Amino acid sequence: MPRTILHLDLDAFFCAVEELHDPSLRGKPFAVGGRPEERGVVSSCSYPARLLGVRSAMPTSRALRLCPGLIVISHHRSNYGEMSEKVMARLRNLSPFVEQISIDEAFVDISGLGDPAGIARSLQAEVREGIGLPCSVGIASNKLVAKIATEVGKKSGKKGEPPNALTIVPPGSEAAFLDPLPADMLWGVGPKTAARLAEVGIRTIGDIARRPEADLVRWFGENGQELWRHARGIDERPIVTEYEAKSISQETTFACDVRDDRQLERTLRELSEQVGRRLRKSGLAGTTVKIKLRWPDFTSLTRQITLPGTTDQDDEIYRTALALLTKVRPKGKAVRLIGVGVSGFKPPLRQLGLWDGDSEKRRKLQEAVDELQEKFGRKVIHRG
Amino acid sequence: MKVTVLQESLARGLSLVSRAVSPRSTLPVLSNVLIATDEGRLRLSATNLELGITCWIGAKIEEDGSTTVPARTFVDLVATLPTEQVSLNLNAQTQTLNVRCGASNTDIKCIDAQEFPPLPVPDMEGALQLNVADFKEMISQVVFAASVDEARPVLMGVLVTVEKDTITMAAADGFRLSVRKGTLSQPAAQPLTAIIPARALTELGRVVSDGNEMIAMVLPKGRGQVVFHMKDVEVSSQLIDGTFPDYQQIIPRSHKSRTILSTPALLKACKQAEIFAREGSNVARLDIKSSGDLEPGAVEISAQSEETGSNETIVAATIEGIGLLIAFNVKYMREVLEVIKSPNVALETSAANAPGVIRPVGDENFLHVIMPMHLG
Repeated sequence: MPRTILHLDLDAFFCAVEELHDPSLRGKPFAVGGRPEERGVVSSCSYPARLLGVRSAMPTSRALRLCPGLIVISHHRSNYGEMSEKVMARLRNLSPFVEQISIDEAFVDISGLGDPAGIARSLQAEVREGIGLPCSVGIASNKLVAKIATEVGKKSGKKGEPPNALTIVPPGSEAAFLDPLPADMLWGVGPKTAARLAEVGIRTIGDIARRPEADLVRWFGENGQELWRHARGIDERPIVTEYEAKSISQETTFACDVRDDRQLERTLRELSEQVGRRLRKSGLAGTTVKIKLRWPDFTSLTRQITLPGTTDQDDEIYRTALALLTKVRPKGKAVRLIGVGVSGFKPPLRQLGLWDGDSEKRRKLQEAVDELQEKFGRKVIHRG
Repeated sequence: MKVTVLQESLARGLSLVSRAVSPRSTLPVLSNVLIATDEGRLRLSATNLELGITCWIGAKIEEDGSTTVPARTFVDLVATLPTEQVSLNLNAQTQTLNVRCGASNTDIKCIDAQEFPPLPVPDMEGALQLNVADFKEMISQVVFAASVDEARPVLMGVLVTVEKDTITMAAADGFRLSVRKGTLSQPAAQPLTAIIPARALTELGRVVSDGNEMIAMVLPKGRGQVVFHMKDVEVSSQLIDGTFPDYQQIIPRSHKSRTILSTPALLKACKQAEIFAREGSNVARLDIKSSGDLEPGAVEISAQSEETGSNETIVAATIEGIGLLIAFNVKYMREVLEVIKSPNVALETSAANAPGVIRPVGDENFLHVIMPMHLG
């Protein structure tokens, strides 16, 4: 059963909000961004400004050289958040499966809700008339193609005006839709990858799809495989709702059900280490440790404990997860799936411990291990 | 079994023991309350295998016997009965307990008392005699500092040590430490050390009434248990196995400043700060503002939340030593201040990342150590 994923992108969002504040800006070249004397950059520019070559992320000073009459407005941040939240609330009315990826962009899973074109049109009308913001929508059977559909729609809009585009890629035609598009429109193709692709004569997404998968793996390693699948319009990533995005977790399903305590503990430790590493890499620390278990009859449960302080340490995550496991798993009961997660992220204000001498040492050890693994791979060092 | 009891005493007895019932146990009999005739009284007992509570109530006994009654059913039923005589009549064959009171007539399906775990019958010889009021206060001043983290079972207990006529209780959860000393009316024959689950002491604190009674405490040899016995109530608990960390070494020996504040004023400031701190990491900042020798100092307690707002309170203080900005988990501050009875409290500090010590002014028997919160 193919999914139906809707991608919504607010057109020149910051500028659209400024136009609501000050309607006299409408139709004029202006930009929201940092001041030129402070080496500011353009965050967003109006469609008339785009006609003159101004682009977002461009230094404001350069934008002013291209377009001397450009009106530069500095941020009124709080109101952008409020407006964005209004739009996101409309999306959540549509379906609970909303993944917000930035202040002005989100995915919604609208599978089984009825005619996608109808849903998209009434959503666009609601956002435009109800909130006063123009937006473009792309619909496809997955996130990758839906997002690209939005971009394609925006590019084909009338110059100098918000595009208000709607692009629908029917299921089954993903590869054909992507075929003529430039390779760098794919997620994961940055300037470096694009240059490398150009060297071997690849310009379009279709060129990638027509190559043998092995070639791409040879050129780009693991990423090559993903790139090849994406080029054929295949993307199975689920919608990650806000709640989940606020936690980091790892889980594993055993090839056959496991009842051996040792093996479960070992797996729990590995998962805790993976979670710990991801936390430290993203500079996060959380107060809640949770475990997820699935029994052989497919019933699942999750249990969590809130710690007095935040943690990003493998040991602490493992000890807490193990205590939870011991508490909820009757002795000898077989397990089909096991997972560990940390959530409740807080600023890195650390509750010091009475016996910190030890944990300070462990923290240093962890840093050293992370560094070694970063340099030489995960297998280079592990717990004895 | 055939007995008559007063509804009020039955209801009170059940409310005492039902705290030890384990409602979701794999062993069905643990969801039940044991009722048994015992030398002219009716004995009610419940246990979750770690904690056991027994109480005795007055009864008119026509026929001895015992059974176990599903706790929830029994408690809910008795609560709705009129305040009259309740007659309990067991059909031993079918293990059905007939409960009659006023116009009400109930049959409850029970489980044979044989299946109930045996409860300790301790030898009270050589028991320590503890004064109820003192012991209750000691419990309240330490139990809250025990850990609830099952990953460190030892810290879920309170370390109790007795040496001659001094009894000391200590609890720590890794971030704070509470130590309370007390004096025994009769010195102990032998020194003793035990780690008693904080949960058991909390329950003990709840069930003992405020009379002038004494509590007898024994640790039956080789049983890994502690039993607290009073006239009408007995609380028993498994002890926690393991070694309690050496807490003496984490009590700071010196300090760079000593701040004396009014206990209720500081408590109120902390409670206000907590309203905002609880939205975030629970952190409150204490800005200890030292001043000239003859001028009064002040401590500014503040907390803020992204969502709800911010709060600050200035509390007058006498400060000896340097000024300091230090951050604490305000819940820890509130919890210790709530159990300090003295009008003034002293906060001893040295640095933003060094432990703070809180002592009631004029009382050498209690001290509390809190580790601060630190950025980075």
